[in-house]
Amino acid sequence: MNPLGQLESARSLALGDGRYYPTIIPGVLPIIGPNANASLDTRRWGADFLAETFASPTWPSDAKEPSCLTVLPTLRAYLDDNDTGVIKSAVQAAASIYPLVYRHTISSHDSPNWQHMLAIKSNILRRMDTAPPGVRVCCVKFVQQVVLVQTPGQIADPRVRSPRLPPPAGNDLSSVQRPEQNDISLALVPRDHNLLSHSQLEAEASGLLDRLLDIVHGDHSDALLVTATLNALGMLIPRRPTIASKIIGSILNFNALKLANSPMTPKNKVIMKSMERTTRALLVNVMKRNPDNPFNTRIHQYLERMHHTRVDVFDESKRKRPAPVEQADGMDPSKRQRVVPIVPITQNVPPLPPGPVSYRELFTLDPNGGPAFDVQAFQDPEQLLSILVPVLQSIDATKLGDAINAVRARYLALQKAPPQPAPGVSAPLNDEEEEYEPDFEPEDNEQIVNQLDSAPPEDMIPDRVTNAPLVPYKLPQAPPLTKEEVQKYGDGTIRRVFGMLSSLEEPSSRSKAPKRGFNRLAASSYDRDSWVTILARLATRASAGLDDPDENTKSESGNGEKGNFAISESIRNALHNYVMYDWKKRIDIGISWLNEEWYNDRVQSNIMNKGSKFAANGNGSSPSVYKGNYRRCALRLLNAIIAFAEGTDKVLLRFMSEIPELDREILMRMKKMAEDPERIDLAIMVLQYLYMFRPPVREICVDVLVDMWQTNERAKPAASKILKRWKPEVLSQGNAVKMETANGSLEVKAI
Amino acid sequence: MSADPRLARSRPQQQQPTAVPPPPPPPAEPQPNVMGMDGTTNTPPPGPVVPDDKFKLKFCTICASNQNRSMEAHLQLASAHLPTISFGTGSLVRLPGPTITQPNVYHFNSTTYRAIHTELAQQNAQLYAQNGLLNMLSRNLNIKSFPERFQDWIPGKPRLDHAEDQGAPGTEAGIVDVMITCEERCFDAVLEDLHNKGGRLNRPVHVFNVDIKDNHEEARVGGKAILDLALSLNEAAAKEREVHGESGWTGGGGAARDGFDEKVPEILAAWQERWPNMPALWSLAWV
Repeated sequence: MNPLGQLESARSLALGDGRYYPTIIPGVLPIIGPNANASLDTRRWGADFLAETFASPTWPSDAKEPSCLTVLPTLRAYLDDNDTGVIKSAVQAAASIYPLVYRHTISSHDSPNWQHMLAIKSNILRRMDTAPPGVRVCCVKFVQQVVLVQTPGQIADPRVRSPRLPPPAGNDLSSVQRPEQNDISLALVPRDHNLLSHSQLEAEASGLLDRLLDIVHGDHSDALLVTATLNALGMLIPRRPTIASKIIGSILNFNALKLANSPMTPKNKVIMKSMERTTRALLVNVMKRNPDNPFNTRIHQYLERMHHTRVDVFDESKRKRPAPVEQADGMDPSKRQRVVPIVPITQNVPPLPPGPVSYRELFTLDPNGGPAFDVQAFQDPEQLLSILVPVLQSIDATKLGDAINAVRARYLALQKAPPQPAPGVSAPLNDEEEEYEPDFEPEDNEQIVNQLDSAPPEDMIPDRVTNAPLVPYKLPQAPPLTKEEVQKYGDGTIRRVFGMLSSLEEPSSRSKAPKRGFNRLAASSYDRDSWVTILARLATRASAGLDDPDENTKSESGNGEKGNFAISESIRNALHNYVMYDWKKRIDIGISWLNEEWYNDRVQSNIMNKGSKFAANGNGSSPSVYKGNYRRCALRLLNAIIAFAEGTDKVLLRFMSEIPELDREILMRMKKMAEDPERIDLAIMVLQYLYMFRPPVREICVDVLVDMWQTNERAKPAASKILKRWKPEVLSQGNAVKMETANGSLEVKAI
Repeated sequence: MSADPRLARSRPQQQQPTAVPPPPPPPAEPQPNVMGMDGTTNTPPPGPVVPDDKFKLKFCTICASNQNRSMEAHLQLASAHLPTISFGTGSLVRLPGPTITQPNVYHFNSTTYRAIHTELAQQNAQLYAQNGLLNMLSRNLNIKSFPERFQDWIPGKPRLDHAEDQGAPGTEAGIVDVMITCEERCFDAVLEDLHNKGGRLNRPVHVFNVDIKDNHEEARVGGKAILDLALSLNEAAAKEREVHGESGWTGGGGAARDGFDEKVPEILAAWQERWPNMPALWSLAWV
């Protein structure tokens, strides 16, 4: 019968119940062992089986200990196999077995088996730098196991010498079998052990740890090895406090994005992202496991920094769009580096003056600079040369080419334009003929017809057209627009502006260009921001008739406030939708819009209250006579955002902190949001932030939090933590009034 | 009605390890497939199938709730006869409810797909048929019985009790070689949880992320992309065994000598070129 079939049925037996392993292993070993002359398939199966067996959580490590001694010769033979698959599995099995043999040696002083294990260990360590990568990663894991058992574990309290400590490496899960005994570590080795020298083991572990850390800082293009090492180190940190700080410190010096300077091949991109993510997962895990870790601040900074670097490295639009400002005028964005476009030069070339043209005029492209210059002013040719050569060198080839083209175009136009011949403008067609072909008197009909064909129809061209001063043409006054038309055209315009916004989005929203300060003109650069400013002001101020109503309402003049107002509303709607379409990225637009709204409300109420002593300062909820738009818009936007915000969306924090005015109703939304258990933390974070950085709303924040604490059972722990600092008296009251909370919650919900 | 196709599929495959002459693809396979509860078939169009006598990596697909993306991928991988299990990383199984603020929430590892299906059908059959939930659930209940939580998974614990799941053959020992998550959040959660699990098996596992939006269409496309990735990986792994097989380590030369593991970044990079809309991540972790 096929040996693999037999083996497989033995294995399924063991998979069914882990207790069979001790009886199955002796039966299997002769088939897969070194003396069996097994086929490659059998050896592969055997190595896999050993790895699986000694890793299995279904039988306890106590039972594994005697069994593992019997497989040492087999493992040792497998390590010298010529198939990588066999070696890989053998190293995995060795990693599971090493702690067991180690513990066995500690208690039994069993020298021969320990020598076997040492031989396996040195075999593996020898391969570590030279084996194929697939094997090397397994060696890394083996080394990590060695480090684990050869460094002192958590200081064990001799009184509670067992069940609570974490289970040893590579063995059962406490849930599966009985309570674990001690963590296998250096702490178990007595100082006077005759086989195991305490100091040697410790020194070896420290050396091996250095080797692992060297891998992390070594070849960054070998992501396989680096991520394997990082992921293996993760388990050492919580379980071996003595070396945890060394490991974390080393990882914090690791730059996962070092490859950024090498060519951005798809492979390098994958590698970099993967290493970055792996590092992050490891560090986040460290922080989560031990929130009081002294390293946490540094880890935090490191993660922040890495995040920024990653954005820099991978955000290609960011890197490639350094000069985005000129793009609104319809240039090809793919040529953005050319700051001075080709077209404008020819556009700037003024048309030739009508009538006869001198060569000087023909070649003068810049009428402002040209005429004043006269070469004859240079008496000394040497001087002229010394100026001319550098000037010629510095000429931009494209500019020169454009200029030449412009002149050429002029020249061709001159040649082609018989209606404006050089000398006698007033001369009839015949004159011209005479000039070119003086001796050719008779014309046949055909020629005349041809000439007439090519000439512009005579009745359209008055004789002395060139000299006649043109009377300025005035368009007749357009009929006034109806209200519907105003609305329609207004909407259309808005839609077009928003359409343009989305086409501008990519370059400008991400550009890193330094923000200009207060002195900038709001909408001078034709980028996304300036259009947003224009829109927001159009929405807020146009109907307000504030500054210069003519300017904004020209097209709607005579249609009264109503039409304007409707347009403002539709702009607001459009802005709202625009922001919500991609609210995380467009939150800044929302904020600047709300700022405009707020500003306008202020100005309006000031105007309305002119004379009275009403002070428009303060953040409170002082009832304003002018019923502004800010609050309405802010609430609407916030409601919409909250519907989509997830617990991790810190953007909301930014939004809440940057909108100009907060009141109770707005902050109550945080409470509402906290009804979703996933977003409690976010809501509290917002309140905490506002409490710290916006003192005017402090009280409201506290009130909202108290409210939340009283009514939201799940938010209680988080809220009380902060209330302890802000308003401890509530907490003490809270216990007393607990009975009333049911009523209280009803009340609050009614608000 | 759902039990039969599963049995028909998994029975012939279970004999795989012992079979000397490899059984041809299960004969009962192309039976006029039972229609799902709302008229959809439970098998994707016949795609590539890895013959049972070839080497196979073991796969694991992971999304947030073990309902949509991971299950679609589970089905596609299992249909290609790749050993597959699947998990969710969320704290609870969350499905859309009547409104955005009222999701339907279930516990992992206990609530069966069938129970969820029944409950939702009672709650509002029309709504959930229209948004595809019932459809999805009836697909899922033909794949396995309940959503499983990744964090509760004990690697190396035999899964003999899952023998009827699709893609079960090959996963009996409860170990995998490749994990594929469908969202960066899940990728992070998986890496993190593997740290918590502590790598007790000392067994390397390639963890991938393929970013897929959580809707039915994207899940379908994403499933194809995952299958593509899985087949590429499996082919490379199988090749390694051939190259380094009987002829021995010295047999190959140059790139042919590269083993499977070190080829993974290249395979992923090549895959990424083919599927540029699903940003990928990868890490070698330990179970």
